Amino acid sequence: MGEQTLTVAKYKSVVKKMTPTHPKFAVVGHPNKGKSSIVSALALDDSVQISDTPGTTTKRRSFPLSVDGKVLYELFDTPGFQRARRVLAWLEKHDVPAHKKPEVVQAFINEHKEDERFNDEIELLEPIMEGAGIIYVVDGSQPYGEEYETEMEILRWTGQPSMALINHIDNTDYSEEWKIALEQYFRMVRTYNPMKATLEDHESILESMAQLKEEWITPVKASINLLKQYKGQMLERSALLLARLVYDSVSMVEKLYFYTQEANDEDKEKIEHNYKEHLRELEITAQKSIEEVWNHGHLKKEQNVLTFEGMDLFSEESASVFGLTRKELIITAATSGAVTGAGIDLLLAGHTLLLGGALGALVGGTGAYFGFNELSEIKVLGQSMGKRYLEVGPMENRNFPYILLGRAIYHTMKVAQISHAKREVFEIEMDQSFKERWLDESSRNALEKFHKKFRSGKALATGELKEYEEIIKKILKHLIDV
Amino acid sequence: MNIKSYVNLYELLKINPSSREENRAFGITHVMLKNKPIEQILAWVEEHKHRLKRPLLSETFSSYLYRVTFTLVLIAFALGLLTGIGLLSYSGREPVNVIYFIAVVIFFPLMTMLLTFFAMFRASSAQNVLIHLSPAFWMEKILGLMPAKVEESIKTFQINPLLANWMILKRSQIIVLFFSFGLLLALLGVVVTKDIAFAWSTTLHISPEGLHDFLTTLALPWIEIMPSAVPSLELIEQSQYFRLGEKLGEEMIAHASQLGEWWKFLALATLFYAIFLRILMLILVSFGYNHAVKRSLLTLKGATKLLREINEPIISTHAKRKESTFTPHEKSYGQIVNSLDASYDSIHGWAIPYNTLLLLGDSMQVIAPEYFEAGGTHSFDEDAEVISKSHGEVLLLVKAWEPPTMDFVDYLSDLAQRVDKVIVMPLGTKKNGYEASDKEIDVWENKLSLLQNIRVWLKR
Repeated sequence: MGEQTLTVAKYKSVVKKMTPTHPKFAVVGHPNKGKSSIVSALALDDSVQISDTPGTTTKRRSFPLSVDGKVLYELFDTPGFQRARRVLAWLEKHDVPAHKKPEVVQAFINEHKEDERFNDEIELLEPIMEGAGIIYVVDGSQPYGEEYETEMEILRWTGQPSMALINHIDNTDYSEEWKIALEQYFRMVRTYNPMKATLEDHESILESMAQLKEEWITPVKASINLLKQYKGQMLERSALLLARLVYDSVSMVEKLYFYTQEANDEDKEKIEHNYKEHLRELEITAQKSIEEVWNHGHLKKEQNVLTFEGMDLFSEESASVFGLTRKELIITAATSGAVTGAGIDLLLAGHTLLLGGALGALVGGTGAYFGFNELSEIKVLGQSMGKRYLEVGPMENRNFPYILLGRAIYHTMKVAQISHAKREVFEIEMDQSFKERWLDESSRNALEKFHKKFRSGKALATGELKEYEEIIKKILKHLIDV
Repeated sequence: MNIKSYVNLYELLKINPSSREENRAFGITHVMLKNKPIEQILAWVEEHKHRLKRPLLSETFSSYLYRVTFTLVLIAFALGLLTGIGLLSYSGREPVNVIYFIAVVIFFPLMTMLLTFFAMFRASSAQNVLIHLSPAFWMEKILGLMPAKVEESIKTFQINPLLANWMILKRSQIIVLFFSFGLLLALLGVVVTKDIAFAWSTTLHISPEGLHDFLTTLALPWIEIMPSAVPSLELIEQSQYFRLGEKLGEEMIAHASQLGEWWKFLALATLFYAIFLRILMLILVSFGYNHAVKRSLLTLKGATKLLREINEPIISTHAKRKESTFTPHEKSYGQIVNSLDASYDSIHGWAIPYNTLLLLGDSMQVIAPEYFEAGGTHSFDEDAEVISKSHGEVLLLVKAWEPPTMDFVDYLSDLAQRVDKVIVMPLGTKKNGYEASDKEIDVWENKLSLLQNIRVWLKR
């Protein structure tokens, strides 16, 4: 390497340092130590390939945090060191004072850019030499090894500000020995579990990253605020989607035209089937949108679909788990003014001997209409106009919106809380205690007012859905923050 | 701001013509509209209108609304004209009773305007009975009789019922206004073309004085500017008509020329109560209608989301480019050793300290004359020396949890060239009793299978 190479490298370095740019951070380390998991969690991006197979990351990838296109900071996921000893051997061949060492690293990059053997090293060193701070990742669940010193030494040669992150991949803990070793090379050593990290952990890591360089403090702090705003946006968008889901589902009307004199059983079954299918589709679509809102577009999940048959969500037993019990429904209906005297009586139809006897024939005739398990009556319409059709909807089952909303809120909460680094199949299994967590008496009464309106099939006035959305947002915020 | 904007927005939201980024770009470039959601939406509609299929549904819809309204206006005008002529028809035997006409031009408008007021307050209710009383309500029914093709394009369009209420209210005012024009024209026409003897007659016991006071009150709006258009007490007395009796004879006939004076009052009453007040009502309803259009824009499905996209900064944390898909190489390795021999020519440890090597050899009951430490912090020269000293069968111990790097692969390749057989044995951590997990060994197996070296074996 000649003097000329060093000068070119120095020039480039100076030019880069003079150009006002956003903070950059390169996540580097040994292969398969969770660099991608950390990037995935920090960048809230579940599209990063994470696998047990080393060498999954072959090219560096940039994850900028941007607001309206303006980048506030940039994170780089990089391949792991593959031939660290060879790189260090090359660097050490150049006996230079400390302040010249970064130039030697740059010279290494320049000289080996086309050398396939050093592809991974070039990929990880380039962003560092372009000014990125170093986040060196190690696996705290595995013992420390001397071979890591080679990598740390190379990073020291770059002269860039650096910190180490001890990644806890499993329960075994070698953090203490790692800390002792890492503290000799890095001015800051932090632990971080990307699988369980909360927003607070995320912020805390960002704050540490900001400390690497004085001029990074302001933009990284701005990024932290932006991430909070981002979370708020995600919450609002989720609430909007959930409000829409309940409104669309409850007010949905399914029509089926028929051309015979009278609708037969097949037609009735068909419209019922279509109605239920559309309800399921609405739920699935909303869930997909929620996952996209929270950047979990690649989430693999296992979940019971909204069922309507047999021991299902519309049975009394499961309603008590997912929705409201009969008693709660009646209390809610009465206190929110949703059901008048007759309505309450009809809700009880056939289920209390006392009232059942008192109501007599009235109950017998109309009980099924208001029944607990009924979804909606199938009506034959258009008889006199020549175009006959069956119509089902809006949803008459008073428990349905609570069941649907409960499921949707649970799903949203889980999606919002799951780490972007998770790649396993995610089970969404709601338990009985969840209902108590999300639905208290005041929310129930507040919600019922809107459910009644949705059921009526009447158009919503301006701001009505917004009000409903606000209630959902409040519930979501409470659950997610907890 | 009219119904067209509403329909255009409805259609645009259905086709979702712009991405989130485009919507945000719109928000940034129209910063002066910030915090003005309606203006933002209207400007957005204008910007994207060209993306809608022609003919525009809004044009089709408003054109048909116009035609139906126009037809109803013509009918209302004709009805007004005929009603006027009917009310003023003079057989020559009996005078024209002004009470009928007054009822139609004063009391009927006042009553319908009162109903309109109630309907306006209840306009936000989708099921407004008062709306159903309006002739304009039936316009919707008439739309159902349109040609099938048009019906098809409009069938899918669902107008917000609240907006529909206001549309009906507004059009009702226009229709009734034209009915009143018809009445006025009838009055003027009949007055010009016929010599009508107006009279008043009622079963109720109303004295001329009482009626005079009442009519003077009704005429208050124009009494100052046109006093002659207020019937005098004398006129009222002279024009009182009893169906039975002798009154018609002398008194009325004596003042026959004066009986026609009533027309001025009737004309002014029509102008003020049926036309002027109706115009005021139309203006009022138009305000309400415009307000309803604005509010309805926000109730359209997707409008809130659109506003959010326009106003919310796009925060992105994603990678700029998509990651190239990595397909893990999972090929089973053919050269597997299941148990170790009792002795090897040498035992190598990759990044494993010499003392640990001795201990491991002992615990595994494997004898070797030489133990070498390679990799880790060793230099390449030291590794080369180790390789040069090696021969025969080599047991190479590696840390199972540390995935094989290319540095190791280089060493292994060089070693395999030198010796007859290399058995790579991944070892677990001390905490695990040096037992490597299957998952860890799989990683090593995959790596070795890439080497395809017949001298390299794996201990599982």
